[in-house]
Amino acid sequence: MGNVKSKLQETRLGGIVDRAEQVAIAILLGLMTLVTFTNVVLRYVFNSSIIWGLEVTLVLFAWLVLFGISYCVKVTAHLGVDILFGVLSKSKRKALALFSAAICLAYAFLLLKGAWDYWAPFAGLYETTGRWFPTGIDPATRDQAWYETDQIPMLDFLRFFEPLLNEGEEYEKLPRFIPYVILPIGVTLLLFRLIQATWRIATGRSGALIVSHELESADGKDR
Amino acid sequence: MEVALLFTMIIGLLVLGVPIAVSLGFSSMIFLLVFSETSLASIAQSFYQAMAAHYTLLAIPFFILASTFMSTGGVARRIIRFSIAVVGHFPGGLAIAGVFACMLFAALSGSSPATVVAIGTIVIAGMRQVGYTTDFAAGVICNAGTLGILIPPSIVMVVYASATEVSVGRMFLGGIIPGLLAGFMLMAAIYVIAVVRDLPKGEWLGWKEVIDSAAEAAWGLFLIILILGGIYGGLFTPTEAAAVAAVYAFLIANFIYRDIGPIARSADGSGPSLISRPHALVTAICHPDTVKTLFDAGKLTVTLMFIIANALILKHVLTDEQIPQQIAAAMLNAGFGPILFLVAVNVILLIGGQFMEPSGLIVIVAPLVFPIAIELGIDPIHLGIIMVVNMEIGMITPPVGLNLFVTSGIADMPVMGVVRAALPFLAILFVFLILVTYVPWISTFLPTYFMGPEIITN
Repeated sequence: MGNVKSKLQETRLGGIVDRAEQVAIAILLGLMTLVTFTNVVLRYVFNSSIIWGLEVTLVLFAWLVLFGISYCVKVTAHLGVDILFGVLSKSKRKALALFSAAICLAYAFLLLKGAWDYWAPFAGLYETTGRWFPTGIDPATRDQAWYETDQIPMLDFLRFFEPLLNEGEEYEKLPRFIPYVILPIGVTLLLFRLIQATWRIATGRSGALIVSHELESADGKDR
Repeated sequence: MEVALLFTMIIGLLVLGVPIAVSLGFSSMIFLLVFSETSLASIAQSFYQAMAAHYTLLAIPFFILASTFMSTGGVARRIIRFSIAVVGHFPGGLAIAGVFACMLFAALSGSSPATVVAIGTIVIAGMRQVGYTTDFAAGVICNAGTLGILIPPSIVMVVYASATEVSVGRMFLGGIIPGLLAGFMLMAAIYVIAVVRDLPKGEWLGWKEVIDSAAEAAWGLFLIILILGGIYGGLFTPTEAAAVAAVYAFLIANFIYRDIGPIARSADGSGPSLISRPHALVTAICHPDTVKTLFDAGKLTVTLMFIIANALILKHVLTDEQIPQQIAAAMLNAGFGPILFLVAVNVILLIGGQFMEPSGLIVIVAPLVFPIAIELGIDPIHLGIIMVVNMEIGMITPPVGLNLFVTSGIADMPVMGVVRAALPFLAILFVFLILVTYVPWISTFLPTYFMGPEIITN
């Protein structure tokens, strides 16, 4: 684990990106907590509430998880069963890890198509055609860019979207494509981190995609 | 038939070392694409909605955050001091105090691995110093840590409540008596072992130490009252209680205990005072310690929710295919009574618990067995507690046993070593499981007493 981390941070850019990801995760969780807590205080002390509080918290929750998945791939934090890894020879272990990586890549790829297809109509863009693989774009996509969130107020600096997506009409509430945009972004990052992780396994710099406990404690003893 | 294929694929992928979340999600996707009309877009949607549409699950990140603040912020250390002052003078005193501390911490945190880390990091080292074997110390803490999900608050109970739509408050109440009982069974067993094997006992430090340590730990322990009192007093929802707990733990750690943050005290107790640095009230929010704690809790939330979100996709597959109804019909036709049914539930969960992370397993299994339980007149809270106890056992049995992993980390011993060390106490948990399964009163007394009988069963 320690090994992987130092490699990730060996370039300066890598270090900055890593820090940025950590801080982003911290901020998302911190904001969720603050908004929820503030609403409790407002209710009892000021007898009022932020009407969009809950919806924003839930959006932040989704952002936290969707953004964080890729980071957890990067630092090999995802859980799995590692019994086979303990009993196999080194080369077989690598083959197994590559198989596992292939499944993960397929998963991320399918999810990415789904994420795009779900988000695109909300952003006035085209879905892809095809059931398994994107075979083209579907110009008949029903434009859903006018869908708004339930309570979240529209932010003024985002008004430039109105002529682009909403035929110049004002958004009264934050349009849905903004919270949903984390789907394509998060899953793209996931795919990217998985490709990196697969490459690390292929070049022998990393053993597996999952937290491997037996190996880790053995490592600890060697040092 | 197709569903059998689905489960074969999931188990196959799991055993081959594919991450749990991906095994569940990928298999479900393939199933949906091949056998149903569902599009990838709607799978992505349910993935997003796993977070954005589950208000109950929102309690999870907050409980994780609260318990992270409590372990880094010195609450755990003070609870341990208090526990040693109270029960440390018995034979096997430090081990008993370890269990007691785990019980107290479990009443503040909703997670078992977190309890092991918080208490075990300090107690295991302490036990070794006074002459316990590492095996014994690791075995005790690894088991006692599982109380984290049985004594409320509990993340696994939150997941169960969310999956079956029973009230989180009822589940929490249901966990109190079983949690105390399991804790006392563990302590009693340690006492017997200690007398037989003549294990070291500590000294009675006097009432002054009890009172002093209690006063110091009181800030942390007040959280129990805040959480449970707040929920049952109707002050806030369980989710809000969790957020309040997180903020409270943050304040305690930074400004009362001052173990972390801008005015943290050094080892000798000296440090800047709040009066000399009033701006600490603001800077504490973005202090590196706070960011680190938020990040750690966030990372844990992500790995947990990734599994839950994918388990929810699988759950949709199962409900779409009407699997719960089919299983219910099959079991009822086979003449399953409540007793046989509960045996079956235990067996399914014990096997599943070996390969799955508890919350993910509950998301999948709870909807499958819930309708039958209702049909057979089993109280949903009783069923929930049985599930939680099974998950406790799953956490200390390989290959996927979260408590084993963290114990192995903090005790610096291989996982298989911890497995062996935990075995004797695992036997106690099994006895406890049988007790809880066939004496529903243990689980249902408090919720029924305080909140009236469960309505769904009627």
